Amino acid sequence: MSTVRLIARDELRLMLRNRVALIAFALLVLLTLVAVASSWSHQRGVASLRDRHRHEAEHAFVAQPDRHPHRMVHYGHFIFRPLGPLAAFDPGVDAFTGNSMFLEGHRQNTANFGDVRQSALLIRFGQLTPAFVLQIVAPLLLVFLGFGGLARETERGTLPLLMLQGATRRQVVAGKLRALGTVALAAAAPAMLGLLVITGQPGALALPMLAIALGYLLYLGLWTVLILLVSALVRRSRDALLVLVALWAVTTVLLPRAVPDLASGAVPLRNRLQTDVAIARDLRKMGDSHNPDDPHFARFKQALLDRHHVTRVEDLPFNYKGLLAVEGERLTSALFDLYAAESFAAQERQIGLITAAGLLSPAIALRGLSMTAAGTDFAAHRRFLEQAEAYRYTLVQRLNRMQAEDVSYADDSATDAGADRRKRIGAAHWRTIPDFRFAAPTGSTLARAALPGLTLLSLWLVAACALLTLATRRLGARR
Amino acid sequence: MTLWRHELRLLLRQRPSALALLLLALLTTAALATGMAEVARQRAAIAAIPAAQAEDIGAVADYVGRTKDAGSAAYYSFHPTWDAPAPLAFAALGMRDVAPYMLRVRALGLEAQIYDGDTFNPEVALPGRFDFAFVLVFLAPLFVIALFHDLQSGEREAGRQRTLDALPRGGAALWRRRTALRLALLWAALALPFAVTALAEGVTPGVILLVSGVILAYLLFWIALAALVGRLRWSSVANAATLAAAWLVLVLIVPTLGHVAINRAIPVAQGAEIALAQREAVNHAWDIPRAVTMRRFYATHPRWSDAPPLGTAFHYKWYLAFHQNGDDAVAARSRDYRAALERRDRAGRAFGWLLPSVGVQALLTRLARTDLSAQLAYQDRIRAFHARLRSFTMAMSSTTGRSAPPTSRARRASIITPGADPDAARSGHAAFARTDA
Repeated sequence: MSTVRLIARDELRLMLRNRVALIAFALLVLLTLVAVASSWSHQRGVASLRDRHRHEAEHAFVAQPDRHPHRMVHYGHFIFRPLGPLAAFDPGVDAFTGNSMFLEGHRQNTANFGDVRQSALLIRFGQLTPAFVLQIVAPLLLVFLGFGGLARETERGTLPLLMLQGATRRQVVAGKLRALGTVALAAAAPAMLGLLVITGQPGALALPMLAIALGYLLYLGLWTVLILLVSALVRRSRDALLVLVALWAVTTVLLPRAVPDLASGAVPLRNRLQTDVAIARDLRKMGDSHNPDDPHFARFKQALLDRHHVTRVEDLPFNYKGLLAVEGERLTSALFDLYAAESFAAQERQIGLITAAGLLSPAIALRGLSMTAAGTDFAAHRRFLEQAEAYRYTLVQRLNRMQAEDVSYADDSATDAGADRRKRIGAAHWRTIPDFRFAAPTGSTLARAALPGLTLLSLWLVAACALLTLATRRLGARR
Repeated sequence: MTLWRHELRLLLRQRPSALALLLLALLTTAALATGMAEVARQRAAIAAIPAAQAEDIGAVADYVGRTKDAGSAAYYSFHPTWDAPAPLAFAALGMRDVAPYMLRVRALGLEAQIYDGDTFNPEVALPGRFDFAFVLVFLAPLFVIALFHDLQSGEREAGRQRTLDALPRGGAALWRRRTALRLALLWAALALPFAVTALAEGVTPGVILLVSGVILAYLLFWIALAALVGRLRWSSVANAATLAAAWLVLVLIVPTLGHVAINRAIPVAQGAEIALAQREAVNHAWDIPRAVTMRRFYATHPRWSDAPPLGTAFHYKWYLAFHQNGDDAVAARSRDYRAALERRDRAGRAFGWLLPSVGVQALLTRLARTDLSAQLAYQDRIRAFHARLRSFTMAMSSTTGRSAPPTSRARRASIITPGADPDAARSGHAAFARTDA
């Protein structure tokens, strides 16, 4: 075993003597620190801003004066998507999705004011986060430090010398692997330290953090093995460098861009205009509350009258208009859910295609796993949208029921000068409505969602190790 | 000429070089194809608007016809606006995937509508699009590095450099010839497929020439960098590593640092604050005397001030007035928000003068009209359209007490047809002319 350690130490000493390599490594550490600091302060800034807006919106809601409940349905509520602590490590799609949403009756609004539309040009070059540094920059540094590891020995004919001194091929490869692996660990250390600091915050989850750390270690381990594999297969170190840079460019730069484009071409999404028109069309078919002769609402009314043994809506024990609003909201919301499910399913299919491309590019596999565990992927956004819609529905229906129970039908239909005052109900009602609270997923949910990505990366690593073992056997053999 | 042909043969006989050039041409073609497909999808979506809109507005007109109230026409009808892709959009899709290019608006408060987005998959948008701009800005430099990193060092390592320098028409002339040849081939792999596509898409020759020039300039920047590194007389391996590191720094790292710096230096008041304030202003109208609202409205919009007074019943004139007041209340904030966005954009562009990668991206998205200024120009057209929609609706509901709805087919059509495309915007108020004399 000491042979391996000796070879590793020798390799590391060689790297340390390489001034360019040292500078590159120092720059990587610096970049990581900048990324951790800026990403963390950005995350905290965003989180506290959204929290402040949330407070403002909640305060504004309960501060509304006496109103007709339907006015509150349209006053609506603003909610903000909270940003978890792990977003400081990998903000994922946070900048690309709107983070505030206006909720009101019979309309489903979009989530607005995403960062991407507020910082146009440069954001499309990528964001400086610890995840970006480890996913894209760190592998290239490892390539620069490790491409010559084995190719240099074969190229210069020093491999036979090593073997004459009693080192086996396996020991040589293991030593180089150990040296480059040490560098990989050192390169990952600042980001992992940042991750630890971030998870020291309240509300941070241990299991997803572990999944993230494991994922990145697998990824960098994979690159270490891949670099030595190429270095073992290629006879000249320059060829090793060119092959590795090409491999890096294809798997971390080209495929992560090209694959999502293909996926979005393969699975079209219905745009908002067509969705709105389709919902309106379906709604007219189900029941048109504006049409006095509409069969659905005629049946609805008749059933109500029959149940309460009266013949006119005026004689019902509650405000018929409120119940009509409840029924109308029920119908529109069912359609919102239907169309949202369709859109989510299409987007999941797109993401499924991207995930499958993790078989071609470990960077894609890692990116998915990292966002998933950090709770900043599409699934997390979807969770927010679904909870927002559920909250919107209960909010509106509560207000509609207030209209049914606390406003009389006669007042609601009156148009005289004092009618406006009589239609209003007390402001105390607004305080009975609970605020929106985003139910964050548990740590084990997030970690479990990251399992497929971890499995894929492990498979990559196993395959690369197997290939390296094969290549080791033929290392230095004349071809 | 024979010397050139000879050099070409030499270059293409090296399999890696020939493969690299072929790969670049293939990637360019693929990026152009995905860009074209995306633009075609957007055009198809825009072309599908009239049919969908006719169906939707027809149903609204049916209902409005029954209620005989022009105000509810304003309330229930959404009018489509769209921003058709410019001919060059296929080359640099820019923001068109994350900012909407179709938006329906109605005559109510615009500040609550104009920031709405369209449906898109954030995980697809996150890495950026695979378009021609990406191939040029991100990938082309790697091909420059592949072809140029051993231009001189390769010959030196093979022990041929002294011989080559001593040849007649060797030395500097030889390196110039080889450089020019590689540049021409790289340029051809990028510019020829681009030019063919651009001609087919109807891009004007001037713009095609300009983009071809940009391609050339960007390639020259990287070739100059390679030559600079080459002067250090390092080994081919060291050259390749240095150039790849430079690429990493200039294309990937510095832009992200610039992004952080600009976003910190130029804070943008959150758009959400506009939305919150506008909602307060609009809904407050229900709690104050209607005369107060109308006074305020007439003060800022005197052309409607001679309308008949309000009765006790609900009237859309008042409803529309307080929506207008709500927009007016946040107009300053909205202008500030926009100005801050423009400041950020300007800073990003200024950054592009220092950093070629950002500069080329900025220039291409500007030429393709897919950048922030194109987005804001679209918003301006929406605003102009909305202003006309508003005054049209106000005219309908304010001149009479409870005004006649647009019952005639022609008049109904007049609210249905307008779009916010540039042509409609130029055609002024024609779309709103009341045609039922």
